[in-house]
Amino acid sequence: MTAAQFEVRVEANRRLSGGYFLLELVAAAPTPIAAAEPGQFVMLRGEWGRELLNPRAFSILDAPDPTRFSILAKTYGEGTRRLSRVGPGDRLTATGPLGVAFSPPSPGVRDLLVAGGVGLPPLHFYARKYAKRARESDMSEGACPSGQVEMYYGGRNSDDLVLLGDLEAWGVAAHLATEDGGVGVRGYVTAALAPRLDAAASAGEAVRVLACGPTPMLAAVRRLVLDRGVQAYLCLEENMACGFGVCLGCAVPVYGPKPYRYCCTDGPVFDAREVRWP
Amino acid sequence: MTADIDLSTTCGPVKLCSPILAASGCFAYGQQFAAFTDLRALGGISTKGISPLPRQGNPLPRICETTGGMLNSIGLENVGVEAFVREKLPFLRDLGVSVWVNFFGTDFETYVECARSLGAGQGIDALEMNISCPNIKKGGIEFGTVPEVAHRLTRACVEVAGVPVIVKLSPNVSDIVAMADAVHQAGAAGVSLINTITGMAVDVRTRRPKIATTYGGLSGPAIKPIALRMVHQVARALPALPICGMGGILGGEDALEFLMAGAHCVQVGTANFAEPGSCARITDELRDLMRTLGLSSVRAAIGCLEGHPAEPEPMLRSPWSLREPV
Repeated sequence: MTAAQFEVRVEANRRLSGGYFLLELVAAAPTPIAAAEPGQFVMLRGEWGRELLNPRAFSILDAPDPTRFSILAKTYGEGTRRLSRVGPGDRLTATGPLGVAFSPPSPGVRDLLVAGGVGLPPLHFYARKYAKRARESDMSEGACPSGQVEMYYGGRNSDDLVLLGDLEAWGVAAHLATEDGGVGVRGYVTAALAPRLDAAASAGEAVRVLACGPTPMLAAVRRLVLDRGVQAYLCLEENMACGFGVCLGCAVPVYGPKPYRYCCTDGPVFDAREVRWP
Repeated sequence: MTADIDLSTTCGPVKLCSPILAASGCFAYGQQFAAFTDLRALGGISTKGISPLPRQGNPLPRICETTGGMLNSIGLENVGVEAFVREKLPFLRDLGVSVWVNFFGTDFETYVECARSLGAGQGIDALEMNISCPNIKKGGIEFGTVPEVAHRLTRACVEVAGVPVIVKLSPNVSDIVAMADAVHQAGAAGVSLINTITGMAVDVRTRRPKIATTYGGLSGPAIKPIALRMVHQVARALPALPICGMGGILGGEDALEFLMAGAHCVQVGTANFAEPGSCARITDELRDLMRTLGLSSVRAAIGCLEGHPAEPEPMLRSPWSLREPV
């Protein structure tokens, strides 16, 4: 699947709690985003003139039909501030889909999705795609589906946790954690994840962790899974100017023959064992 | 009804069917762009800077955006001469556009070694010698800032290259004309003006510089006025020296400004990141604008700027040209 650059229009800008906003975008004709997999991303740029040059990278939240896709974002800097203000009909330039996706579920392995704050989109997309398939196969075959997933989702407070209704609608169990204890476990998402990994280990249950969130959270998840020998994939975030392997700005330190690989073309999904973090 | 605009131009001995080239460091080795744009529409491509041995690049963070531009400190990461010639060059050669191979060394000897191994007989149209990157150790800064040193280095590389050598100058100097004159007298076929300007950005929350190496190279429209000034100064002082102009070109009008100021061709850099098809769009815009302004050819546009009465006298002889050649 080849990426393309094309124009999209804003169909809706849904304001969610905690400063999050969800952009529903539509193109005039089918785009390659239609074939996007969870973990892949898109570069987006508005009509920003000469002041703000580079597009911003966003994980694809959903691609419901060949001309539509959506992203979830939170205002952080000038680019996201401008994107947060767009309204229906506004034009954006999109480039994608880019990057390497999470691999699909394996039979007999339960996927534990671990999201922190704005790291929700690729895991939400994953849950949508594979939990739905699980339900369908539930109905058609009546067997325990291979694609069963559980979500571990953490944020600062309850406002920081969004789109929970979707998980409920798909029948995905959501284990929540907030730093203020307003909802779910008090503390980081790893506080909810660690006992689950221990329980899986004692029960001999095969699990795989897929995680996305702030780098400190991913580093903590990485330590948890490496200590326990659990297979895990991390969806990383780095500054990018291009998103397609040219600027070389988004280097990720890795173990292996070369000291760096690239978040945009080698990732953003990396095996937790490969990432060279302290 | 007007005749078609003649976009052909030259940079010294290098013939170009269009004055719009992709700039080094912003186009990798070209392949990534094939999915987005017709690369044959370009006048040429200047590759990522090549060194004799592969380089792995700098620690993170390597880039940050600034108002009207961006800072980078990638660290001259590249695949090295051998892998470049084997894996990257055939693709570029087959495009039929002018292939400029940007190169550098880490000291005098490796510069010359690199120029020799990228020399004649391989389908390379020009070598673009980068003497202006801030990330080279061992006195590397002198290559780009001391005219005598730049002269010696250029002459040594020109002698072994067998293809035209265009020297990419640093703007981080007090007298750009002296640098241009020094490399011109050493046999450079032209100069590329300008490389990035050294800059810095601060994150007040973390109390750290926004890029790992503290200082980085500023590119984008923020540097265009400085680039234009340097192109104009060199073009007026050294009319026999062909110039490839660059610095913040985002549209056809930017390109025409450089041509009018005296550049023979231009390179588009930072624009490629946000818009991989930017070179083709800029070429179309340039053609349309020239038609509107009644300019029938790029040759007619080059250096056609008319000065105001208060324009300063050009430096007809640079300070450096008064000295004895080294």
